Order: sequence, then C-alpha cells, then structure tokens
Amino acid sequence: MSDLPQDEEDDRVLAAEYALGLLSSEAAAAFEARLQGEPGLRALYASWAEDFAQLSDELEPVAPPARVETALRAELFGAERRARPGLRWLWGGVAVAGLAALVYFAGADRGPQGPGDPAYVAEMVGGEGAFVVTASYDAGRGALTLDHRSGEVPEGRVMELWLIEGENAPVSLGVMDGGGRAEFTLAGELAEKLRGATFAITDEPPGGAPGGVATGSVLAIGQVSEV
Amino acid sequence: MTDHTHIEGLLGRVALADRTAFGELYRLTSAKLFAVCLRVLKDRGEAEEVLQESFVKIWRGAGRYQSNGLSPMTWLITVARNAAIDRLRRRQSRPEQSVDVTRIVFADPTPGPEARVIAGSETGVIMACFGELEPSRAEAVRRAYLDGESYDDLAGRFDVPLNTMRTWLRRSLLKLKECLSR
Repeated sequence: MSDLPQDEEDDRVLAAEYALGLLSSEAAAAFEARLQGEPGLRALYASWAEDFAQLSDELEPVAPPARVETALRAELFGAERRARPGLRWLWGGVAVAGLAALVYFAGADRGPQGPGDPAYVAEMVGGEGAFVVTASYDAGRGALTLDHRSGEVPEGRVMELWLIEGENAPVSLGVMDGGGRAEFTLAGELAEKLRGATFAITDEPPGGAPGGVATGSVLAIGQVSEV
Repeated sequence: MTDHTHIEGLLGRVALADRTAFGELYRLTSAKLFAVCLRVLKDRGEAEEVLQESFVKIWRGAGRYQSNGLSPMTWLITVARNAAIDRLRRRQSRPEQSVDVTRIVFADPTPGPEARVIAGSETGVIMACFGELEPSRAEAVRRAYLDGESYDDLAGRFDVPLNTMRTWLRRSLLKLKECLSR
C-alpha cells in the first residue's frame, strides 16, 4: 500500500507477474515490447522463470498414455509433405547449397548495397554456456564472419555451421577448421533466409559432415537476429 | 554428463530436425511436462491435448530456446505450463496474458553469458525463501505458479478484494526476490 508506492512500476514484480501469467494481455504485450530492448529485464524474467520452475520439483512425474506420442508423431511426421524433413534424406540439396555458399563470389548477382540493407548477428551457445561462437553478417559484402569465443572442439573434429530456417531442412553454411575466426560468403538466396533463422554448430570429421548430413553433436545453437 | 547438458544436446539435435533425439527428449521429459499440464488443467483429456501441443511447439521452436536465456529444462517446463495456462484461461474466458515462449525472439539475442550464469538460484533456495513468507502468501504464489490461478481466483480463494490480493502478492514477490538475491 502506501509504503510501497512504486510497486506497480517495480520491474522485479512485473517480471514475476509476467512469469506467473498474471498480467492482462495488454500489460503482457507491453512487457514483451520492453523485453526486446532491455537485456536486464530479460535477465530478471529468466531468473524468475528459473526460480519458479523449481516449484515443479514437487510434481510427481505422470507417464502420459501412449496415444499422446502416437498422435504427436502423426501430427508432426505423419504427413511427410508438411513435416520438417528428417536429416536422413537431406543429402542432395544440403550438400549443393553448402558448397554453393562457399564458392560464391561476393557481389555477383546482388544490386548496389546501401546502409539500409539488413545486417544480422547471432550468438551460439552450448555446453551450459561454456561454448560460445558469435556470428555477424555484413550485407554490403555478403560476408558472414564467425568468431569462436570459448569452448573446446573435440580432438580431431571441426566445427560445421548449419542454417535452420522455418520448416526447412538444415543447410550447411560451411566448415570452420582453422580455429578462431572464419568468414563465409553467402549467396543472395541464402542471405534472405537469415531473418528469423537459427544457427547451429556441430562437430564433424575434417572436411565437414559426410554427405551434408550433420553427424556430430550440437556444440552450440543460437537465434539469428537483425540489427 | 549432467541432465542439463544432455537435454541441451537433445534440444540442439531437435533443432536440426533429428527425430531420434526428439523421441529421446519425449521419453525423458514427457512425464514431467504431463504432470505440469495435469496440475494446471485438472483434466486428463485436456492435459493430453496440451502435452501434445507443447511438444509440437518444442519441435518447431527448439532452435529458439537459447534466445530468452532459460535453462533447457526450465524452457521445456515453461512451454508446457504456459500452454496449459493458455488453455485454462480460454476455458474460463479470462483476458489474462498468453505467452508462448517458443515464439519469443529477441533482436539482441541473449542476456549474455554472465546473466545465464546468475539466472536462477540454487535448487532448494526458493523453498527456503518461501519459508520466510507468511504461509498463506506463500500458498498464493505457489497456486499462481503451479495451478495457474489468476488474481481473481486467488482473491476468491482467500476471500479478499481483488486489489488487496494484488498488493499481497506483489509484496510477497518482492520479499521473495530479496530473499532469493541474498
């Protein structure tokens, strides 16, 4: 009450109410809009979500009936045309697309580039935050630069970067075998897919995933965002 | 390999459309997520539907779980809980928020590694901090989270005016945060 005059504005409370689902739709939308530009608020929300999730520890797991998984698989994979393609049958398209990205010459079929062209960044994280690779895309040069910031790549393996976009199959963008930094040139059609896409890094044998199909474990993953 | 790392690895594979990893993720987590849905909805049929809906969201959104800075298990629980609450609110025709964490994407991708490390307290800490609240206030927060009760529900349950309920709960949340941050 009067000794807590700012409680409505208190972000700690607001983040908790948002995490609990107590806000009106309008207030929740306003909070989400603020989250976009306020990393501190996101951290506050995340810490509440983690703390509240501990309350779920008291819930005894209940095995769902088998029909749920059957229905789930039918919904996701039953109609193959609508489902995301499995990794198994990716090979042709992915390998070709990956190769095309690597040998493409910057500027070949793009028009003049201006300051309004989209630029993208991504931070891929894995291993409980220990493995970090950052990426930035310069539309003017059509160049995607990757920086391996931390984390170990397994001995004898290389990092391979995958573009995951919508319901489509993962596309290999290239292999990082030289350690810290790599630059890939992206063809116009691939660059157009960056918006809203996800990057993943897997460890693969030298030369990259055989047949363009990811075989190793996912070292890091992250969302591509426009800047 | 910790559970955390294992689940994180599975989510990564799921983002790459690996159905085997998805099957394993389902085996490892569906009973927990079903319990979360059941607790909120208190109806097996609806909980089954929402569990299915949640795993569809998980399949499609696995690549985005990093973007809101949640740990893998918290993200999974949050997906299921929010889907269940969404269903509950629709059943009650209530106007409260609907949040699908699998769709939230931030322009500036993450809170950064530091925030990830500090996010969340050690297991069990929240229980100790609940102990510092008046029992009825702690109960209100638990019901809001586990049962998805709204301010209206809580005001009815504790037989106080809506605004009093808001004030109570907000004060309790502040106390809880102060305790959790110690």
